[in-house]
Amino acid sequence: MSAAREFYVGYLPQAPPALARTVRARVLLFLGLGLAGALLITAFQQPFSKAVFEFGKVRSFEGRIEVRPYPMLVVERPGAGDASRYLLVAFGKHGAEAEVGALAGRRVRLEGSLVYRDDQTMIELAEGSVEALDDSVRPEPSPSQAVDSRTFVGEIVDSKCFLGVMKPGNLKPHRACATRCISGGIPPILLVTDAEGLASYLLLTDAQGGPVGAEVVARGLVAEPVRITGAVHRLGDLRVLRADPSAWERIE
Amino acid sequence: MGHAYQAVGWNRQKKIYDRTLLLGVVLYLAVFLGVGFALHPEATAETMILRALGTAAFMLLHVVLAIGPLSRLDSRFLPLLYNRRHMGVTMFLLAFGHGAFSLLQFHGFGDVGPLVSLLVSNPRFDSLAQFPFQLLGALALFLLFLMAATSHDFWLTNLTAPVWKALHMLVYLAYGLIVMHVVLGVLQAETSPLLAGLLVLGMIVVLGLHLAAGWRERALDEPLDQLAREGFVDVGAFEEIPEACARVVTLGGDRVAVFRYGDRVSALSNACQHQNGPLGEGRIIDGFVTCPWHGYQYKPDCGASPEPFTERVPTFETRIVDGRVWVSPVAQAPGTYVEPARHPGRAR
Repeated sequence: MSAAREFYVGYLPQAPPALARTVRARVLLFLGLGLAGALLITAFQQPFSKAVFEFGKVRSFEGRIEVRPYPMLVVERPGAGDASRYLLVAFGKHGAEAEVGALAGRRVRLEGSLVYRDDQTMIELAEGSVEALDDSVRPEPSPSQAVDSRTFVGEIVDSKCFLGVMKPGNLKPHRACATRCISGGIPPILLVTDAEGLASYLLLTDAQGGPVGAEVVARGLVAEPVRITGAVHRLGDLRVLRADPSAWERIE
Repeated sequence: MGHAYQAVGWNRQKKIYDRTLLLGVVLYLAVFLGVGFALHPEATAETMILRALGTAAFMLLHVVLAIGPLSRLDSRFLPLLYNRRHMGVTMFLLAFGHGAFSLLQFHGFGDVGPLVSLLVSNPRFDSLAQFPFQLLGALALFLLFLMAATSHDFWLTNLTAPVWKALHMLVYLAYGLIVMHVVLGVLQAETSPLLAGLLVLGMIVVLGLHLAAGWRERALDEPLDQLAREGFVDVGAFEEIPEACARVVTLGGDRVAVFRYGDRVSALSNACQHQNGPLGEGRIIDGFVTCPWHGYQYKPDCGASPEPFTERVPTFETRIVDGRVWVSPVAQAPGTYVEPARHPGRAR
């Protein structure tokens, strides 16, 4: 009997033979189509960045804590420049203010995992690992005079995810996460991409150089095209964009 | 026909079905992750797992939605329909994995709870392009949960068939929400035309199959009432109905399955009481009308399931005059015995 004439009853132990053969062939076809779909979808994803999060790899660091505009570890280095500055963040979507806020200007030893992308490096602190090495307090340096005053068009991202914890750590699918990170104290960065696709990063602060976070979240400006006009300062090897958050513009 | 319920009433065919389904899911995830990491060694495991689970669920949803119309168009797809609810529950579990992992990844470990974050982290309800797509996915997942949780004959019986059916029609709303979740979400960042093309292709397949099946069904709903005489309607020649099979006609707005078996003819409502399966596309096996979807059975002369089962469908009076079958469009109460009409020239 042909498969079309055979009648299938699911609770009977045996399917009619011709029908079973037909169904088998169709299931294999479905399976093949599904696997082809998996192949195409996974192959045609956008390239992932080469950013790195050394998850589970804990290193030890020594340096001096700065907390303005955001917590960072300043590690002196030989050669040109005064020091390397590593942004500090805590576990999850939290800044490091609670861990190091009271240690401004103090020398510390701490442990954490590196997060890095291009020339930017961050440390995710191992909880409870920060240890003050002495009682001396060095005043925090003032940022340089504004080297430039310019208007930038870019996207506000949270530095932790974008520098390597998540891929992708920008654009709309990541918006909610970036919002929570910035709300939790992770420093926001303006990501500016030029015509050649080269990215540059500007640490965002308010016009006085203080941290921003709540304002950015309240205005819902994360992960959308924005235009910001402000003064560019250098803080060691970091570029900082000072601008009043109330004047940041969403580009519809 | 379950009068006593088990969590899962496995039988040999269901085991084959479920093993094949599981193998398919595992192979899909293996190909997605294996090829994905080979081609994108810089990718993070979280992103790849999220995408593997999400796309697996979405692809399986297409299969779930396609099986119904495919079975209407070609009865050789019916074996795939038999255990479709296991496919639906599997699809929900994949979607749940995607949703739960996303909630943890994007909303967890922050300054507010993950569910609060889901509701407040993207306030751009005023913009289509920036619309909070994750809420669309969450709503779809909730609907899929309702369907998966009630995907059992216990709920079919206790909710009643119309309510259960209406609830499970929400799968189309869930599908629409997921399409928008994808369009307003990941496709805003993943800009390959191939990915958007696959989404459109999937929608065309789902919509096209439903339209084709609906078009085919229209012919069945052509009323025959103009051929009525003495309260009966001529539904065709006895010889045109294959042995142990039925002809489906529409009488008084309802589909009626007119079965021929031996020299007799009996007419029943075409809608199986279980899930409205088309009884008229079934067969008479061991003396019982057997539904092609899940094998529910009814006695042809009274529309009642064999004891101890309790399902009953309406019956209709029949006559055979000069080799033609006549059926009364007046439905008898479900389970009412109606003497089968006999073809005098076919008496054994």
